[in-house]
Amino acid sequence: MFKELDPILHSQLRLAVISLLISVKEAEFTFLREKTNATAGNLSVQIQKLKEAGYIDVVKQFKDNYPQTICKITPQGITAFEEYVKNLQSYLGTNT
Amino acid sequence: MNQPEKQLTEKESLDLIAKMISKAKDSYHDTGIGAIMWGALIAICSIVKLSEIHFGYQLPFDIYLLTFIAVIPQIFITIREKKERKVKSFDDSYMDYIWLGFGICIFLLIFIVNSVFHVWEPVAIEYRQLTGHRSAFQFSEFISPLFLLLYGLPTFITGAACKFKPMLWGGIFCWVCCITAIFTSIKIDLLLTAASAIMAWLIPGILMEREYRVYKKEQAASHV
Repeated sequence: MFKELDPILHSQLRLAVISLLISVKEAEFTFLREKTNATAGNLSVQIQKLKEAGYIDVVKQFKDNYPQTICKITPQGITAFEEYVKNLQSYLGTNT
Repeated sequence: MNQPEKQLTEKESLDLIAKMISKAKDSYHDTGIGAIMWGALIAICSIVKLSEIHFGYQLPFDIYLLTFIAVIPQIFITIREKKERKVKSFDDSYMDYIWLGFGICIFLLIFIVNSVFHVWEPVAIEYRQLTGHRSAFQFSEFISPLFLLLYGLPTFITGAACKFKPMLWGGIFCWVCCITAIFTSIKIDLLLTAASAIMAWLIPGILMEREYRVYKKEQAASHV
């Protein structure tokens, strides 16, 4: 029996953000925007949802007098991502 | 305004994950400036030292002192590069520690070599006075292989970890020169040191700098 895919991760932009963050130690908001080609507003909303789910940590600070937002995946986020990929593979493994 | 969330098929999800992981991996490019500076500096120092020995003159200062001075611009280069980075990879901190450890080892080796030299020098002089000829063992002949041994290590690790073959081969080249330098005269040792610096740092640094410029151009073009 298939497990339901995590609704937090099963969305294009949130999945893109988590996939980027799983590959690096931490990344700036501008980096995530560059790589996902999302608008700042939409990205902010999705980042907030990931943060509320406990999948990422968000640190807001100042760098050279400019606001800087740094995102980092949490251990909970890593587990959720791994589970999500495992479930995806089980779907595809049976369907193909 | 929020864009509507697109629901993905399983295949699309996996493709997206693969695409983003690949994008993240390609997200950092070293400027290569540090490698160019150290490669050129060590090569110049070795060649100047070689010319001092070959032509029998002496500069009013030890040319290798320039390496101590070069630490200052290196600190500025490191700070600037770190500021420019929008992303920190897991390798970054390991690489920083490897090169910091390398720097510490080099300065310790300089200290050890100088200490041994101060002990050995009076023995060599006494030997010459007693026997009338130079000792077959010349400590200075073995200094370059020790440095080449160290040059190879962080270069090889960086090349392997960053999958940057010119540096990987540069590290191996240092070790080949290290073995060769054990059996050659001090003049050849210095030439091998210069060649190692060029192969391990200068050439990879130039290649990195080119790649960085291409990456920057692509970045600028994608923002137009």
